[in-house]
Amino acid sequence: MAQTLQLSEQDQARMRGQQGKAMQFAMQTIVAAAEIDQAQSLIDISFAHIDACFYSGRAHLDFIHYMLEHGASLAVPSWTNNGLVSLNDLSVRDPMATREMNEAKQLMEAYIKLGCNPVWTCAPYQLPGGPAFGEHIVGSESNAVSYYNSVVGARTNKYGDYLDVCAAMTGRVPYSYLHRDETRAATILISLEAIPDAVRSSDLFYHLLGHCMGKLCGDRVPLIQGLVMDCSKDDLKAVSAACCSSGSVPLFHALGITPEAMDFDQACQGRSPLETIDLQLSDLARARRELGQLGSGRLDGISLGTPHFSIDEFARLVELLDGRSISPGLVFYLTTSRHVFALAQQRGWVDDLRQAGVDIITDTCTYFSPAVKRLRGRFLTNSAKWAYYAPGMLPVEVCIASLQECVESAVSGELTLDYRSLQ
Amino acid sequence: MAAASFEFDACVLIDGSARGVALRLTDTLSFWGGFDPIAGSIIDVHHPQYRAKMEGKVLLVPRSRGSAGTPGGIAECLRNGSGPSAFVLAERDVNIGVGCLVANQLYGLHVPVLRIAIEQMQSIASGDMIDIIGGGKIRILRPAPT
Repeated sequence: MAQTLQLSEQDQARMRGQQGKAMQFAMQTIVAAAEIDQAQSLIDISFAHIDACFYSGRAHLDFIHYMLEHGASLAVPSWTNNGLVSLNDLSVRDPMATREMNEAKQLMEAYIKLGCNPVWTCAPYQLPGGPAFGEHIVGSESNAVSYYNSVVGARTNKYGDYLDVCAAMTGRVPYSYLHRDETRAATILISLEAIPDAVRSSDLFYHLLGHCMGKLCGDRVPLIQGLVMDCSKDDLKAVSAACCSSGSVPLFHALGITPEAMDFDQACQGRSPLETIDLQLSDLARARRELGQLGSGRLDGISLGTPHFSIDEFARLVELLDGRSISPGLVFYLTTSRHVFALAQQRGWVDDLRQAGVDIITDTCTYFSPAVKRLRGRFLTNSAKWAYYAPGMLPVEVCIASLQECVESAVSGELTLDYRSLQ
Repeated sequence: MAAASFEFDACVLIDGSARGVALRLTDTLSFWGGFDPIAGSIIDVHHPQYRAKMEGKVLLVPRSRGSAGTPGGIAECLRNGSGPSAFVLAERDVNIGVGCLVANQLYGLHVPVLRIAIEQMQSIASGDMIDIIGGGKIRILRPAPT
């Protein structure tokens, strides 16, 4: 508790308000978090991914205004998560919600003023110049936390709103949980032995696996045994996002694939997992049903890019679409970062996709209210995270499908599922 | 059956006193995405207490989960007055703690956050009257069935 927490002289000076009121409030918040965590010390971080720039109400503005008015500044490079609106295209959101939209824009501008790098993405790990293996960082958006820990091997707990900003301002976090070696050991083994190779190679599989893992693991650290060795960063992104929607799995290991799981002993730190689960095809089929079911017939739209679409996913989409157009009357949303958008533009894909009827949105995502224009009705998505959250936030019925199924459905305008895959 | 009362000594995460009717959630909750901070209600269609409203209640929830927006959702519902009067958790949840801490600082509130064992939490039912006394004492009064 409080009396055992070791603070540096600088921490203590900040607690006393010697570096201003904003720094004092930030330091007090970090110390309160350390006491809740029962941490015995604080450590330095090298990077932060800030989520508090995502507007969810007036409290967010009140918080950053308080900080800026009292002299806040940043101690480490800090990149922004998605905002509620797109600063590139304010018309993305419902024009009826003017006050909310203005406040969301003000909030994003406040974080630029604080000194953040305005990358506006939930997939910051797709950008160059980010943190590397072994670095202590602050991750906030749940999929990015899971991806940074699992795939990059950087170390972060899931820092929620406000704590992310306080950490970026002080450069300090409680030395607890996933910052420590021992907490990073896998304690539950997920075996894919019973899953056929063809299924394990499909993009949809990773979303369903993540959904199952979230439900099975809670916040335990799983070791996945049996992922195909050439699985892509996008596949691991899908696992990260899905397991943090149905559950909160801030770290997973994949044997032979992720950097702390080169072998079984490394992943489990020499111990045996306390539990082993043999995932079955029926578990994946159930996951698909849980993520929504649609009867056959006309669709209203498609949503891709949760988390943000990568350049490799753009390439795959262009290939699958193969010069065809989206069915008239159907909306096709794709969300991505400014960085990846610029790469896609250089390759000529943005113009081609727009001409085909794809609506590409940057800086934000589509699955929460106030809704993006015309986002209602029967929707297909390739994302377990979108399928998990959208029905609670938007007037949509949803069903999850592979990228190929999404593209075929978009072209025909009708739900077009490949009935061999995970029905 | 007559009315019954019992007490627990809780671990204090954010100190304060509060009173209200218990709302016990049987699953974890994301306060962003699964929760509407204007109405103070659960909108996660997968949640067992879908549509439950929190205003003025003592909320018992094992912990938060999912998105990083939980502190923001909590600060926002407390700002709006649609949030709980206190949080009782089964784990030392930093996100819920920070949400309350920030709302308390910005809006001059004193919403406490306490932690008890999950078995203790399970012995409390939605509808019980809860009295939280500063320093971590929780008194539960179960009304006699009518």
